[in-house]
Amino acid sequence: MASAGSGDEKAAAAAMITLISSDNEKFEVTEATATLSQTIRHMIEDGCTDGGVPLPNVTSKILARVIEYCKKHATAAAGEEGSSSSFSDAAFLEVDRAFLEELEEFDDAFLEVDRATLFDLILAANYLDIKGLLNLTCQKVADSVKGKTPEQIREMYNIVNDLTPEEEAEIRRETQWAFE
Amino acid sequence: MAAAAALQLDEIVEEILLRFPPDDPARLLDAALVCKRWCRILAAAGFRRRFRELHRTPPLLGFLGNIPHTNLSCAARFVPTSSFHPRRADHIDWYALHSGHGRILFCNAPLCYGGLDMRFLVCDPITDERRVLPALGWCPFPSSANWNALVLCAAGGGGGCNYLDCHRGPFLVFFVANLYDEVVASVYSSATDAWSEPTSMLEPDGHRFCLWTKAQALVGNSLYIKYQTIGKLLKYDLPTREMSVIRLPAECSKQHIVLMVMEDGRLGFAAAHDSRLYLWSREDGPNGDAGWVQLRVIELRTLLPFHHLPITPNVVGVADGVGVIFIEFCGGIFTLDLKSKRIKKLEGSHVFCDGVLEIVPFMTFCTPELGAARIGDGSGAGASSA
Repeated sequence: MASAGSGDEKAAAAAMITLISSDNEKFEVTEATATLSQTIRHMIEDGCTDGGVPLPNVTSKILARVIEYCKKHATAAAGEEGSSSSFSDAAFLEVDRAFLEELEEFDDAFLEVDRATLFDLILAANYLDIKGLLNLTCQKVADSVKGKTPEQIREMYNIVNDLTPEEEAEIRRETQWAFE
Repeated sequence: MAAAAALQLDEIVEEILLRFPPDDPARLLDAALVCKRWCRILAAAGFRRRFRELHRTPPLLGFLGNIPHTNLSCAARFVPTSSFHPRRADHIDWYALHSGHGRILFCNAPLCYGGLDMRFLVCDPITDERRVLPALGWCPFPSSANWNALVLCAAGGGGGCNYLDCHRGPFLVFFVANLYDEVVASVYSSATDAWSEPTSMLEPDGHRFCLWTKAQALVGNSLYIKYQTIGKLLKYDLPTREMSVIRLPAECSKQHIVLMVMEDGRLGFAAAHDSRLYLWSREDGPNGDAGWVQLRVIELRTLLPFHHLPITPNVVGVADGVGVIFIEFCGGIFTLDLKSKRIKKLEGSHVFCDGVLEIVPFMTFCTPELGAARIGDGSGAGASSA
């Protein structure tokens, strides 16, 4: 808010925020990176970020990964804003495409984590309200159960089957279309 | 640990389930069979709505084609292109005309009789709900080729429906016929289970006894119908009932075409000639007068098994919104994905004889319909009360 009148976007972008993990590690990030999280954006708007933002639900290991994601995607968001105001000629489109491909590669590599980390990232993305990260990680889980039976899904994620045989039969009866 | 903690939260389970692919509905059903929590989340009305919001375009689940049943009759057969299999694949003595709003519209076969015996059936393949509509009460000229009909959502007053809120809601059937030099229309509403009084207007181009094809498209609130022997389309605006005539590009006036809604919402059509597929789109001209632009030409020679030449492929259907074109070739039906240019022969499509002119693609969201009220998170005692 304070920078609104200055017109110096560089200075605004460089405003730093301190994030504090559950194990008390401090991370300095730019406001542009931090505000990919709607939760932190609201805190900044309410002016309650002095002395750092404590994130008691996020460990330093996970917070470091989340920040890595946000940094990359904050740059992407800035790039998009830049290009939309320019002439959309072939050269710009080419740059955009290369950038999007790079971002996709980043996301793919980012998801190369074990299952526990993946779910920690989901919990963090949900708590911090980072839409892109929540989408990316939940899609990965949704894709992971492709071709799996209900029993295999339960085994994968240690879920107890609390449906009675009658309830199971009822579900199958009501959705008969899939069992022809 | 993390997985267990995350999967204890309804909101996270829902975020995961929302990202299941809409074109593989059996997977959502498998998810419903995992545990009570997953089942309850999937069955909530809010889930259905958010699933539609996230995926936006209804997926292609299959198509209907009409096959000979006896010498005098035909049957409409549902051929799945996804994991969705309707309870009833064959609709004997019915001819599939159109699909919209998750419903399929049939008329009684054989198509050529028309007249006072003409009846319509609207079917929901997911719930297997069927409704035979009351008779029109007036008599279109007894020919298969001077009328057309389509089924659409009653919300949004026509094509303006975004399909997000209208789940299994009321539908309309729009019927339009050409009688001598007039165009007569009537609308059936599922809410009142009755046809409106027919309204008639002079055929805008002054044609008499002109024949229509079953090629039709609903673009916004306008219905477009192709004339059989004239290279023109009739445009019928549903709310105002205003009609006008649109000339097709000269080189396409004699070709078999399939009308479609383009990605940007404009009217378009697909046609095959020799070994190429042509896509045309309606464009605004410099003085406001609209014309046609050839958007794409796709060489099918490398995609189809063309050693069967000189047989020409036929465009038989378009799945609007998902960019899939149906092509009939050598007695089989193929789908062509316009984005990836991938072509796939559809299993079970060999029953449609050579030269089938149109199929009816079926596109809708299909989330499990569960009587979820009885499946709670409690002891599960409720299930037996039914």
